[in-house]
Amino acid sequence: MTGGVRPPLETDVVVVGGGVTGVAVLRDLALRGVHAILVERFDLGTGTSGRWHGLLHSGARYAVRDQESARECIEENTTLRRIAPHTIEDIGGLFVLLPGDDEAYAAQFVEGCKASGIPTEELSAAAAHRREPLLAPDVKLAFSVPDGGIDSWSLLRSMAADAEARGCRVLVRHPIVGVERAGDRITAVRVHDAVAGQDRLIGCQWVVNAAGAWAGEVGRLAGVPITMIAGKGVMVVMASRYVRGVVNACRKPADGDIIVPQHEVAILGTTSEQVPSPDDISTPLADVDRMIDMCAQMVPAIASGRVLRAFAGSRPLYKPEAPAGGDGPAAAGDTREVSRTFTVLDHASRDGLDNMFSIVGGKLTTCRQMAEAVVDRLAERMGVTEPCRTATEVLPGADHGHHEVAAPLATVERDQAYGELICECELVTRGQVREAVASGLTELEDLRRRLRLGYGPCQAAFCAWRAAGMLAEGSGKPQGGAPVDREAQPNQPDGDGARAPDPVAGLERFLEERWRGQRSTIWGDQARQALLNHAIYRGIFDLQGDGVPDEAAAVNEPPTEPGAGDPTRRVGRELVGDTEGRASSRADGA
Amino acid sequence: MRADVVVVGAGPAGLASATRLAEAGRQVLLLARGNGFTHWGAGSVDVLGRVGGEPVERPLEAIDRLPEGHPYHLVGQAAVRDGLDWFTRFTAEAGLGHRGDPERNRGQVTAFGTLRPTCLVPEPAAGELQGRVAVVNFAGFRDFSPALCAQRLRRSGIDATPATAPLPAWDHDRYFTGVELARAIDDAGFRRRLAPGLARAVAGAEVAVVPAVLGVERGHEPWADLQSLVGTPLVEAATAPPSIPGLRLFAAYRARLERLGVRWQFGFPAVGVERDGDRVTAVRSEGASRVLATRCQELVLATGGVAGNGIEANRDGTLTERVAGLPVDGFPDRLGFLGDRFLGDQPMAAAGVRVDADLRPVDASGEPLVANVRCVGGLLAGHDPTVEGSREGVALATAARVAALLAATPVR
Repeated sequence: MTGGVRPPLETDVVVVGGGVTGVAVLRDLALRGVHAILVERFDLGTGTSGRWHGLLHSGARYAVRDQESARECIEENTTLRRIAPHTIEDIGGLFVLLPGDDEAYAAQFVEGCKASGIPTEELSAAAAHRREPLLAPDVKLAFSVPDGGIDSWSLLRSMAADAEARGCRVLVRHPIVGVERAGDRITAVRVHDAVAGQDRLIGCQWVVNAAGAWAGEVGRLAGVPITMIAGKGVMVVMASRYVRGVVNACRKPADGDIIVPQHEVAILGTTSEQVPSPDDISTPLADVDRMIDMCAQMVPAIASGRVLRAFAGSRPLYKPEAPAGGDGPAAAGDTREVSRTFTVLDHASRDGLDNMFSIVGGKLTTCRQMAEAVVDRLAERMGVTEPCRTATEVLPGADHGHHEVAAPLATVERDQAYGELICECELVTRGQVREAVASGLTELEDLRRRLRLGYGPCQAAFCAWRAAGMLAEGSGKPQGGAPVDREAQPNQPDGDGARAPDPVAGLERFLEERWRGQRSTIWGDQARQALLNHAIYRGIFDLQGDGVPDEAAAVNEPPTEPGAGDPTRRVGRELVGDTEGRASSRADGA
Repeated sequence: MRADVVVVGAGPAGLASATRLAEAGRQVLLLARGNGFTHWGAGSVDVLGRVGGEPVERPLEAIDRLPEGHPYHLVGQAAVRDGLDWFTRFTAEAGLGHRGDPERNRGQVTAFGTLRPTCLVPEPAAGELQGRVAVVNFAGFRDFSPALCAQRLRRSGIDATPATAPLPAWDHDRYFTGVELARAIDDAGFRRRLAPGLARAVAGAEVAVVPAVLGVERGHEPWADLQSLVGTPLVEAATAPPSIPGLRLFAAYRARLERLGVRWQFGFPAVGVERDGDRVTAVRSEGASRVLATRCQELVLATGGVAGNGIEANRDGTLTERVAGLPVDGFPDRLGFLGDRFLGDQPMAAAGVRVDADLRPVDASGEPLVANVRCVGGLLAGHDPTVEGSREGVALATAARVAALLAATPVR
């Protein structure tokens, strides 16, 4: 596949980054009637927004040390419950005090919550155990807070759908590879269409850099310095929920002090370590063991539980340039000391680049507020007077109310779809996969993020090959929908199967990506599961991992074209290079 | 409780060992936690499918290229042949004829359209894929994708076309599993109603590949009958677990063991042994409410490796044999269990108990640790059943060896 340039696109604002912040910015612009295009190097939520524990903060975690963040959190917690209830599990949270924990901290905690406007209630040990029967018997007392669980992929999809319905566009698998400047202005953003294998220019009046932990790299392309600190957090996924609501340790934030029940699993978090690159998503054994051992102090059953996988994400921490006085945050490598609040950078006043803003720092819970802050500044410069409406306009899907963990099962029961299950662990039905394939998804990884396919205890022993089969049925049928059924004309050739993406290669990529997250958590029952999966895929199906065809490999390689040696393109190539073992298959008809 | 020989484990090695020991006149108790790899395999007899990742053409010759300490070297080629000969006779008598030649591997078609190298395959999976091949699913069966299968077959130069056959009305028209479909196909009336639609889907192709669901309780008869009704050779493709060909085989073993008077305790995991000096005197197993001790003269462990639950993989990288606490070489940490790639090799799959030529567990210096314990099948160190494609071959060869050893031992 050769490089080339497709016809340019035009828009008012290019938003860089398909995490929750960028998508929230896109939606905010759309609601103010501004046309914008969002560009994302992989799929939505493949960076930090998809690599975190799913905690909808009440803010209590920051109440003692970072009350600005705490106030932002409780405000946005309330707002998100209003505009996006369907993405939220309304499960509440506890901060538990264990023997040895500092009671003085507990007093500060209560005060801090009060000062930050976070409602708390003190529970006796007995009351805490009634609410969370698996809590350690020696819990001394607990405080309830309005924490929740939030599904960032669902939030991303809703916000993106809303923005698209209002005329904005989302281009996934379009890493930014450069900017075109005329003096102090950016005139266009150059992106690489990783699926078509071609570059593309997007002419624009404004650029918003919402690349999160990667904001510094986007800044470099635009010629402005932004120092981000990559604050890696390691998390561990348990095979069941253990707790009804979020459980936090009531102590100064440290490793392994949060348990977040999410869908069918529980996520234990987190470490906080400064690493050289946000692409460092390794999960050392010692970190995994520490998460388990620390969280087991709060919920002892975790110690002997079944561990599904471990993963890491990178906090998008911003280091202000040369702060007056201080020697800068995170001197000791523990990034917890860096504020979790956010900052809008106007590169006109800051760097003399007239038409670009960056939004840095922050956290998922405050993504809407971050978007509002940067778009307010941008709108003022653009002369757009329409006020921000994102806090009041509810998102598509909000009429479903809060997400309930039992809802998927209720749906399966209502539809009598037991045998229609493609993924038994996560209750994903054939209809859901068919719909996703019909909507144009060609990668199992995308199905995973859309449907939670492959998340459960069996770690894709059955669902992945079933879904690969459905992708095979769907290939050669770009409009999707109808299942292949050749009963009427059985000798009809299989569409343009020769040109379609190879679902076996896609499956092998998916399995290898899943494997990376499992390696540090395999022992006990999960060791047996891993070998049974191995016996299925390698033993029965005889997959040897050699099925990646040339055209799929091509989107993992830098395009061969003039200018490839240009150092400003190097970042772009790294962005195309797949840090997560993923690649885009060529789309049908591309 | 008392038994002459206790066999622990009901996978390919335990079933074959129990049957052969009973045939050799021993009084056998079969004790099992649950089902084994009959249900999880491809439904064929793998003897040696790959060495160093490369497909093997001549499995018996390729044994020479296996590393020292491999179970095949311990029992010798004669035991391998004996195991395969015995299995061929046993399955033929049970109405589950197999085809294949121990001298030469063949390709078994899978649901992915790959042709996995194996040695003996059940007759329904043995047809040649020549000429035009229809790859046919039964409408609504979620575990087989004719498009996926045909796509890969075409890459192997096979003229394959995907198709779907309608199912006649039946009581599972909303949803069903492979086992339910196989049970329906056991019924001759259902087959007569199924055949016309299947024939239309086959549409004149020389041979049809179908998922391995053609009956489960009547051996190969439903396959043979459906094939003659359709008028086209039908070839069953290996599908994911549960393996219906494996269920047929399991049922044949079970019937044979019952006829031989073997006592059979399922759902009773063995959890320990009692010892007297260098002999095991009893096996402890977990019942519904208590631990039972069964006294025995001989103990055959067919509990499998890590995959089969005979060996526990611990968080610190060590490995524990679960019944008798036999030594198993572990790893410095748990990352050692695994390879970098999922589809690569997994070191913990090859972990196991080291034994002498009489299949008795040995210590580091090679001396037997227990006089009356024999290990067979996946529990044995030095082989990776999945990566080599040797699971059933090792099971049958070591069962042959244990039968020879213990038949020759006078009953005390």
